[in-house]
Amino acid sequence: MLVNKNLIAYLAVGIFLIILGYELFYSKPHEIPSPLIGEALPSFKLNTINKQGILSNKSLPHRPLLINIWATWCYACQIEYPQLMKIARDEHTPIYSIVYKDNAAKVQQWFKEYGNPYVLTGDDANGNVAIDLGVYGTPETFVIDANGKVVYKHIGIIDNNTWNNILKPLLRKLSSQ
Amino acid sequence: MKKILLVIFLVPLLAFASSKPLYDFTEKADEDKFFNLIANTRCVVCQNQSIADSNAALANDLRNKIYTLVLEKKTTTEIEKYLTARYGNFILLKPPLESNTLILWLFPLIASCLASIVIYRNLIR
Repeated sequence: MLVNKNLIAYLAVGIFLIILGYELFYSKPHEIPSPLIGEALPSFKLNTINKQGILSNKSLPHRPLLINIWATWCYACQIEYPQLMKIARDEHTPIYSIVYKDNAAKVQQWFKEYGNPYVLTGDDANGNVAIDLGVYGTPETFVIDANGKVVYKHIGIIDNNTWNNILKPLLRKLSSQ
Repeated sequence: MKKILLVIFLVPLLAFASSKPLYDFTEKADEDKFFNLIANTRCVVCQNQSIADSNAALANDLRNKIYTLVLEKKTTTEIEKYLTARYGNFILLKPPLESNTLILWLFPLIASCLASIVIYRNLIR
């Protein structure tokens, strides 16, 4: 009986330590799952960076696409940029972007220097739309389905691995639906 | 000399001057609602701080957004709904009692009950 009692106590402590260890070393507290997943993209309306058009949730085409939130001052976005250029060049997924708290002239200069992977870029100079979309850092990328619903949100850099293992299969699945 | 000393002692006080923008309200109820909301909204990029206590850029943006919503006469519930629809219950410093937060609320109760049982059993032995 005493052995059983001890065993239960050891098991309980063991389970507790495993959970604690997992939370300490493996959980990603900054990657909060977006409550927008499965919901329609919140309405927003922005002037494009070249001031010649409007980017809004209603102006998006009815097909799977990406919306990338980025800024020229964001170091991680600079690392991500070649991958976005590659996606725009080699894949059939349109990428739209919202440039967060940036200077339009700097963004235009950036496009001249590094190319422009985006179909349209909305200018969220005051960061208001980013809050409407539940963004809390750059870069963040939303996967939107043909019905305008948020299917997935990637927090952080899209690298080759993220693209090949997460985003590309997901977009392919959405395209075949 | 007195004047110089006065300046020397008063200048460091400037450090306490708030860099946060001031929020103007025409009604006291709106002001109370605003300060109550920002005190109970988590700065999602900080370590367990409310947006009232944080100088992070996102905290500032969220304060401005809440200010706009308060001026638009949105209720506290509507504003909290706006925030949780975008950032989840995590954004509220006091998460609501729901099926997925049940363990969070009940765990202290269960833990103290178990501790009481253990202490009681040890005491009567």
